[in-house]
Amino acid sequence: MRINDALIGCVLLVLAVAVYLYARTLPAIPGQEYGAAVFPVLIAFGLGGCGVALVAAGIRHWNGAVVWNDWARTHHVWSKLAVVVALVLAYILLSETIGFIPLSILILLIFLAMMGVRWWVAALVAVAATLLIHQTFSALLRVPLPPGLLGP
Amino acid sequence: MSAIQTALGLVFQPSVLITILFSAVFGLIVGAIPGLTATMAIALLVPVTFFMDPVPAVGAMVTCSAMAIFAGDIPGTLLRIPGTPASAAYTDEAYAMTRNGQGEVALGANLLFSAIGGLFGTAVLILLAPALAEVALQFSSFEYFWLALLGLTCAVFIGSSSRVKGLVSLFLGLLVSTIGLNNPAGVPRFTFGNTELIGGIDFIAAMIGLFAVSEVFRFVIAPGSLSAPKAVTGSLLRGWGRMMVQYWRQQVRGNVVGTAIGILPGAGADIAAWVSYAMSKKLSRTPEKFGTGHVEGIIESTSANNAALAGAWVPALVFGIPGDSITAIVIGVLYLKNMNPGPTIFLNNPQYIYAVFIIFILANLVMLPLGWAAMKGAGYVLRIPRRILMPCILMFCIVGAFAINNSVFGITVMLVFGILGFVMEENDIPVAPCILGIVLGRMVEENFVTSMIKSNGSFAGFFERPIAGVLGAATILVWVLPLLMLLWSRRGGRPHTAA
Repeated sequence: MRINDALIGCVLLVLAVAVYLYARTLPAIPGQEYGAAVFPVLIAFGLGGCGVALVAAGIRHWNGAVVWNDWARTHHVWSKLAVVVALVLAYILLSETIGFIPLSILILLIFLAMMGVRWWVAALVAVAATLLIHQTFSALLRVPLPPGLLGP
Repeated sequence: MSAIQTALGLVFQPSVLITILFSAVFGLIVGAIPGLTATMAIALLVPVTFFMDPVPAVGAMVTCSAMAIFAGDIPGTLLRIPGTPASAAYTDEAYAMTRNGQGEVALGANLLFSAIGGLFGTAVLILLAPALAEVALQFSSFEYFWLALLGLTCAVFIGSSSRVKGLVSLFLGLLVSTIGLNNPAGVPRFTFGNTELIGGIDFIAAMIGLFAVSEVFRFVIAPGSLSAPKAVTGSLLRGWGRMMVQYWRQQVRGNVVGTAIGILPGAGADIAAWVSYAMSKKLSRTPEKFGTGHVEGIIESTSANNAALAGAWVPALVFGIPGDSITAIVIGVLYLKNMNPGPTIFLNNPQYIYAVFIIFILANLVMLPLGWAAMKGAGYVLRIPRRILMPCILMFCIVGAFAINNSVFGITVMLVFGILGFVMEENDIPVAPCILGIVLGRMVEENFVTSMIKSNGSFAGFFERPIAGVLGAATILVWVLPLLMLLWSRRGGRPHTAA
């Protein structure tokens, strides 16, 4: 999936303007000319400059807003990507209540099954990898992985 | 002398040596798996090093990166898929040797000259870093501003195919670095009332996203299975003596060029390998043999990429400016371990610096036996299907991002940067300048604002001190040179096009 440079340029221009407007609201240090706003304003100009250059380049080589390459045309690839993002989001939202071990096994099972790994291999890998990660981080490195359902 | 003794005592402890051994094996495995880069190996290692003392933490990273860069040669030679981008320059050449039945010679050359290159780079690091630190002690905010800017400039101008897109990546990284309370004025910026954002974006979570999670996404869209690796029989030691004698010039040149490119801020092992391979072909007496399975170019560039790794530590230790994306990560870890890089560490904590040197030498020495074992066992590692590996890596990333502050906010940052990195790479926007921008952003801003206040807002102040003037001129030259060359080639090219 290749987005045309002109489109990326437009996004950057919008971002640059937003950064610029936001930076103008930052308070100045009393008696100093150079405060918190200087650097973001410079970055805004830089981003804006790149945006203009990309818009110019994109218009010269315009062949549609987005060029879809092979993988992007197939429907199931997009749903697979969405599933992976959803799995990470699920961990962010649910890890505290469900706990690391059950959630990690579940996430790995879904991901492995989606990639076409046989179910018993997937189950074996999911459990083994989860226990290995749990042992490394929780027992060895003392990271407080959430116990969730398995907790007291 | 006592500092060296202390350093030896710090390194030669069972726990440190075991850590080094484990990270060596980890680096070899990650480097040997195509699609997993040396930077990714370091990114995955960082959450683990959080819980170590400074010396084993640094030791783990040094060893892991050296092994990963070397191990990238193995799948390149056996499968024609470079394990890390640093091996891409000579993958075709090495695979051609395998097809000619000389696979063991190619692998043997990779092993031997990687180790020698690494040792050469280490020698330069040992000799140059303390001397440079003496000079750096006199640096003020002007010099540091130019140094940081030079590093960022090199990252954009040398490392990427499209300069504009490299700049886009850099500015995005700089923008991310402004988030939070950490700025000269102490004003919360871009936090939008979110308490998590006040502390700023943690660069390790961002980096795990940019380098590892984006790779998982790329795998999901193109799972492609690997072909079975070609078998390599015969002794890996074959021809070592002959190659050392016949190609000593190429080897020395690769070492020197690799170290020099490594020292240059912003350019690392990948670029060193490409430059050295091209140079070897240009200066060779038999350039026609290149590409047909000729060991000459492999020797020069495999020396260069490992030499660059040590070279990149020179600016990292002396100025706190990363030589490549790996040292960018290392600098972040050094700060966490209270080993703040900069010239003063050479005065206050020389034992740490010596420990780093000793670990570098050790890492390149253990590369020989471990690398030999890795080549013999490569067939097994390369047979692990990626569809089993990648889900496990994702889980590892999640836990790693969580472990930074023991909060799920790290995972959110990781996910956002994973998606950003994926979209960027799909559109040929390199991610390395972005990570350098995040790491160096604060330093550039702090020194810029301090300098502006010192010089009462006059840009002339940036050129008044001699070293600052030279650095400033060099930076501007890097900016202007491509334009001049473009003009020059147009003027030179016009008569030809007219004819």
